[in-house]
Amino acid sequence: MKELNIKQLFGQYKVLALLIAIAIIWSFFSWQTQGDFISARNISNLLRQMSVTGILACGMVLVIISGEIDLSVGSLLGLLGGVAAVLDVLHGISLPLTLICVLALGLLIGLCNGYMTAYLGIPSFIVGLGGMLAFRGILLGVTGGLTIAPVSDNLVAIGQGYLPAWLGSALGFALLALALVLTWRQRGNRKRHNLPAAPLWRDVVRLAVIGAILLLFVHTLDSYDGIPVPVLLLLALLGIFSYVTSQTVFGRRIYAVGSNMEATRLSGVNVKAVKLWIFGIMGLMCALAGLVNTARLAAGSPSAGTSGELDAIAACFIGGTSMRGGSGTVYGALIGALVMASLDNGMSMLDVDTFWQMIVKGSILVLAVWIDVSTRTGRR
Amino acid sequence: MSDYLMEMKGIVKSFDGVRALNGIDIRIRAGECLGLCGENGAGKSTLMKVLSAVYPYGTWEGEILWERQPLKAHAIRETEAAGIIIIHQELMLVPELSVAENIFLGHEIKRFGGRLDYPAMYKRASELMTELGMPEINVAMPVMNLGGGHQQLVEIAKALNKQAKLLILDEPSSSLTASEISVLLDIIRGLKKKGVACVYISHKLEEVVAICDTVAVIRDGQHIATTPMSELNVDRIIAQMVGRELTALYPKQQHPIGETVFEARHVTCLDLDNPQRKRVDDVSFELRQGEILGIAGLVGAGRTELVSALFGAYPGHYQAEVRMGGKRIDASSPVAAIRHGLCMVPEDRKRHGIVPDLSVGQNITLAVLKAYTRHTRIDAEAELETIRDEIGRLKLKTANPFLPITSLSGGNQQKAVLSKMLLTRPKILILDEPTRGVDVGAKAEIYRLIVELATQGISIIMVSSEMAEVLSVSDRVLVMGEGVLRGNFINDNLSQETVLAAAIDPAARVGGDIASATPPSERVNMESV
Repeated sequence: MKELNIKQLFGQYKVLALLIAIAIIWSFFSWQTQGDFISARNISNLLRQMSVTGILACGMVLVIISGEIDLSVGSLLGLLGGVAAVLDVLHGISLPLTLICVLALGLLIGLCNGYMTAYLGIPSFIVGLGGMLAFRGILLGVTGGLTIAPVSDNLVAIGQGYLPAWLGSALGFALLALALVLTWRQRGNRKRHNLPAAPLWRDVVRLAVIGAILLLFVHTLDSYDGIPVPVLLLLALLGIFSYVTSQTVFGRRIYAVGSNMEATRLSGVNVKAVKLWIFGIMGLMCALAGLVNTARLAAGSPSAGTSGELDAIAACFIGGTSMRGGSGTVYGALIGALVMASLDNGMSMLDVDTFWQMIVKGSILVLAVWIDVSTRTGRR
Repeated sequence: MSDYLMEMKGIVKSFDGVRALNGIDIRIRAGECLGLCGENGAGKSTLMKVLSAVYPYGTWEGEILWERQPLKAHAIRETEAAGIIIIHQELMLVPELSVAENIFLGHEIKRFGGRLDYPAMYKRASELMTELGMPEINVAMPVMNLGGGHQQLVEIAKALNKQAKLLILDEPSSSLTASEISVLLDIIRGLKKKGVACVYISHKLEEVVAICDTVAVIRDGQHIATTPMSELNVDRIIAQMVGRELTALYPKQQHPIGETVFEARHVTCLDLDNPQRKRVDDVSFELRQGEILGIAGLVGAGRTELVSALFGAYPGHYQAEVRMGGKRIDASSPVAAIRHGLCMVPEDRKRHGIVPDLSVGQNITLAVLKAYTRHTRIDAEAELETIRDEIGRLKLKTANPFLPITSLSGGNQQKAVLSKMLLTRPKILILDEPTRGVDVGAKAEIYRLIVELATQGISIIMVSSEMAEVLSVSDRVLVMGEGVLRGNFINDNLSQETVLAAAIDPAARVGGDIASATPPSERVNMESV
C-alpha cells in the first residue's frame, strides 16, 4: 500500500521524480569530483551547455505533444547557425538584421515542414528525415564545408555574454514576486469557485522552495560572472512556453490535437493550422538555437548541431512527455535537458571515455521512460 | 440442487478500496441462457472479468464453482481451457487474416516444423460455419470483407472451436443490424440445444427477453434479483435495473414545428476504397425549425456517411449542397459548418467524440474556447462557470470538472460531447446514434434533452439504429437503404414494419421532393418484429 502511494505521488508530481533524479546525479558527480561539479563556474558552464538543447526541447515538446516528431531540427539548427555566420562574417551585415533574417528564415522553413505534414499529409517522421539530410546538405553547400570564423563580437555576446550581477539579483526578486502573486491569485480564484484550495502549508513550502532555488541560482551564477545570456533566454522561453501551453487557446488545442485529432477536428478546430504553427514555432526555436550555438562557438561550423534532434527528443521523453502525444510539459522537457547536460558535463569532468558516455546516456533515456511508463496510472 | 454448470458465490471485488462488486451470486445450468442486466457501471463487465480470470484468483473474494469444483484460475488461458469463453463488445479479430486463420489464432493446427496445416484448418472452419448455419461463407476470405454480423459469427466459431461450455457475450449486438441480430439469436438458440450455456449481456432488453431463460440484474455492484423469464417483461427488468419504475423513457411533448430552415440537396458520397461505389446516392431532404428528423435504416445504409458529408467531415470524395434559410452555405469542413450553426455529435464516441487527455471541463469547452479569451489568455473563471452550468443542466455525473473524461461512464461522456456541441449554439444539430452504449437512465435524459432542444426551436437530425428510439422521438422519419432514400414518413403512429419494409425494399426510392411525405400505414404491434 505504501509503495502504491509513492507510485501515485510520482504519477501526480512527475517533476518531483525528475528533481530527485537530478539531485542523485549531481550528488554523485560532486562526490566523484570532490565538489568541483557544483562549483559556480561549472554550474554556469553546465547551464550554458544545456541552453541549445533546452531551446530545441521547448519547441520539440510542442511537436511531440501534438503527436508528431521533427527529426530535422539538428540539421536546421546547423544550417541557420551557418547562415548567421555567413551573413555576419562574409557579408558584414549588422547584428539586428542578421537576427531578423535568421529568425524569419527559421520560421519560414518550420512553416514549410508544417505545411508538408499538416496539409500535404506527409508523415512528419519522413518530412523530418528528408529535412535532416537536405538541410545538412545545404549547410555544406553554403559554407563550402569550411568553418566560418571569426564572428563579430556583437553576435558572440548572445552566446557568451553575462548579465551584470545587480540585474541578475533584481530579476531573481522579480521572479519570486511573480510566483507569490500567481499563487495568491490562484488561491483566491479557487476560493471564489468553492474549490478545495491546497493546504496553506503546501503553498508556503512551495514558495519557500522556489525562493531558495532562485536565491541559490542567482547567487551561484553571480558569484561567477553573472547569469549567462543564453540561460536568460532559456528562462524567458520557459516562461513564455509555459504560459502558452497552460493559459492560451492555442496551447489547449495542442494537447487536444495530440490526444485525439479526429475529435478535435469535429469540434470545429482547424487542426491543420494548429500543426502548421507548431512546426513554425519549432523552426523559430531552431533559429534561436542556431544563433546561440554559433555565438557560443564564435564560428559557423558545417557539423554544428549534429544529432541535436536526438538530444532534444530525449530531453522531452525524460521529462515525461507521452510518446502518443496529448501530454507533457515544457518544464519537464527542460529538466530532461538538464539531466542530459549534467550527464555530459559530469562524465566529461571524470574523463569517462566517449563510448561510455553514449552507453550511459542511452541507458538513462530508456530507464527514464520505463519509470515513466510504469508509474503512469492505468489509462483506458 | 447441484446440477449447475457454474456458480459464483459472494463475489466481492474492490479497486483501491472502492467496492465495484459487493457480494454477487449468479449461477447457470448447462444449456441455459442467463441475461445479465444493469446500467453502465453497474459491474457487469467486472463480474465477467472475474469469471474469465482477467482478474486472477486471489484478487477478489468469494468462490466460483465450475462443474461443482472450485475454480481457481490465474489466467484467461486456464478458464478458456475449462471452457469459459468471453466474446467482447469490440470484436477481437485481425481484419487482414482469413476467417479460418482468425478462428485458429493462437490454436493453429500445425504440421511438422511449425508449418500451418491449411487444409485441415479450412475443413474444420467450414464445419464450424456449417454448424452455425452459414455454410456459404468462404473461410479463406479475409475477415475485413465480411459484415459486422458475420464477423460476430467468426468470433462465435472461434469460441466453439475452443470447446466452449459457457459462452459470455458482452453486448454482442451493438453493431449489428436487425436481420443480423435475428441470425445471432437463432445461433444462440442452437447452441442452447447443444447444451452450451450463455451469459448474454445487453442493453437491448428486447433481445434479452427473446433469448434468455433467466435474468440476473445487478445495480451498483449489488445483486438485485435473479428471476425466471416467465415472470419478467421489459418494463420489469428496467424497474429492477434503475430501482424505480421508469414510466417515461420517451418524453411525449408536443412542440411547434416551423418553416423549412435547412435543405440538403443531391448528397452523393463515394466509397473510400472503391470510388466506383456510391455510399450515398443523390439524397435530398429538408428540415423544418424545431423538427426532430429521425434517419432509420440498416447498418451500412449510408446514414453516417450522409450526415458527415453535411457536416463537412466525410473523409472520402463527396458532393453536397447545403442550404440554410434558403441560402447556400459553405459546409465544406466542420469549422465552416459550426460557424453557420450546423453541428454534429458523431457516432463513435471514443474515436470522434472525446479527447481522452483533457479533463471533463476542457472537453466541454473545446469548441467554444475562443469565447473565454481575453488578450489570448483563457479566462479560467469564466470557463469554469460555463462548465458548471453545463454539468448542472445536463445532470452530468462527475465528482468535479477536473477529472479525466475517461473516468466517466459512457452515458456521461456522451453528455459531455453533447454539451460541447450545444455550447456553440447550433441551429441544426445532427446526432449520430446518440444513445449507443448508454445506460437506460442516461438514455431517458438524452431523449428529454432532445425534445427540450426542439421545443427551443433547434432542428434535430437523429440517426439511429434503434427502431423504438426513432419511432418514439422523431416527428418525421427518413428511411435509407443502400445509399438511397427509400422512405419519408410523417411519424403519426408510424409502425416498425413500415419503416423496415421501406429499408429493405430495393424498389423504393424517394426523390428530392419532400412535400410528398407518406402517411403511415396502419399501426402494428411493435414487439412482433
